[in-house]
Amino acid sequence: MIRLDSVTKVYKGDVVALKDASCNIGKGEFVFVVGPSGSGKSTMIRLLNKQEGPQAGRIYVAGKDIAELSSWKVPFLRRNIGCVFQDYKLLPNKTIYENVAFALEVIGRPGHVIKTQVPAILELVGLSTKHRNYPEELSGGEQQRVSIARAFVNRPLILLADEPTGNLDPATSVGIMRLLDRINRTGTTVLMATHDRSIVDSMRRRVIELDRGTIIRDQARGVYE
Amino acid sequence: MALNLDYVFRETGTNLVRNVGLTVASILTVAIAIVLVGASFVIRTGVANATLQFQGGIELIVFMDPDIRTTQREAIERSLDDNPEVERFTYVNQREAFEEFKVLFEDSPEMIESVEPELLPPSFKVVPVNPNAASVSSLADQYEGDAGVKDVVSADDTIRTMQELFRFVSVMCVVVAGVAAVSAIVLIFNTIRVAMFARRREIEVMKLVGATNWFIRVPFMFEGLIQGLTGSVAAVGAIYLGNNLLTDQLEKKGIALLANFAVPSGELFGLAVALLIVGSLVSVVFSGIAASLYLDV
Repeated sequence: MIRLDSVTKVYKGDVVALKDASCNIGKGEFVFVVGPSGSGKSTMIRLLNKQEGPQAGRIYVAGKDIAELSSWKVPFLRRNIGCVFQDYKLLPNKTIYENVAFALEVIGRPGHVIKTQVPAILELVGLSTKHRNYPEELSGGEQQRVSIARAFVNRPLILLADEPTGNLDPATSVGIMRLLDRINRTGTTVLMATHDRSIVDSMRRRVIELDRGTIIRDQARGVYE
Repeated sequence: MALNLDYVFRETGTNLVRNVGLTVASILTVAIAIVLVGASFVIRTGVANATLQFQGGIELIVFMDPDIRTTQREAIERSLDDNPEVERFTYVNQREAFEEFKVLFEDSPEMIESVEPELLPPSFKVVPVNPNAASVSSLADQYEGDAGVKDVVSADDTIRTMQELFRFVSVMCVVVAGVAAVSAIVLIFNTIRVAMFARRREIEVMKLVGATNWFIRVPFMFEGLIQGLTGSVAAVGAIYLGNNLLTDQLEKKGIALLANFAVPSGELFGLAVALLIVGSLVSVVFSGIAASLYLDV
């Protein structure tokens, strides 16, 4: 589903974010990307949905080399990739329902699809009763659930999560991980960047460890270190 | 891609209301630019019509009796041929005179109805060697009273000054219109940029969930269209009003030379349509460019 082939990404001022990184992630896998801040976790995610391009190497998503992808096709790539962030990126002037519906609206889904899919996904993340609330009226954990609902409402093949529990307390984080696990069980490939040791240790999934841009460990059913 | 119209209208409405100050400024600047372009055209056409007979260096017109005898006409023609003061001349027969008449009175079909080509005088249009007033008037005297000559009309200095003055005003209009057009474009750019900045979170999310750039751009282009169209409509209204006032004033003041100052309604309508299209198109194109430019927020 995802393959990195000797990928190198250098930012301005010779900051090496990824160096000759290679890995292969199959369909339906759940993968943690771990490592200290600045080790290249976020860069890996930004490369996978083509917010950036690499200097060298090839990146395959769903069998396609996305380095070769012309810019007008990028939106269509992104429709297959859901994204979840540490800061949720919810729109404060829209209700929970509207925030999730927005993701379908802007890719041109018809109204009747939106009307059935949005309540269903809000049910899945356990927020049916709060669909009329605004993001600021929700707790951090609930906001992250909304953001996951938005990322998953279009049933993408891949879900990328960049430190989704970074702003949450441990108990709330467990709830979010259960949700991601549930999404993974539907066959969605999940790639999650984190430095939350307890989560990685308790889930025992595949772990890719980065250090200053280099993959130093790729272990099935691994722990944080 | 299905473009949800409801979505476009909603987004555009929000943008316009949010930036009401900038929107009004853009609309007014568009209007000013277009009024000036229109004014330049109106002045050009009006003066050209008013002085239709005196174009291309023609300073003198010898009108003959409609029933002039051929020998008499040939006599005048020979005399013009031999006259060292005459640079060149053309003969306008009754049919051609009627065509000219139709242009002059395009807006008064009843006038055209009432005139037959046979009623109109044939004429010689004369380009003198020396176009100053004194020699033109002495040349006119030579033919005044000749057999078969009905009237000799000369363009004097007033008409020349008038033509030059209006040409100058018309060119100034175009120059100022250019400046106004540039400001209008800069303002539209700015309006779109502010609108996009206000919506940068939305745009970021839209891009992440896979909205196409066109989808993101369209509401902003629609915003540009509304600004351009509103400005153009206002401008066209102003041009119609201005044209009527000008024509009225010229009639009232009885400036004989410009009594025929008029822009035929057909031409004015064509101008209005062209200005509406140009105004809207330029606004749409530039807001599209602005939106693309600031899409990476």
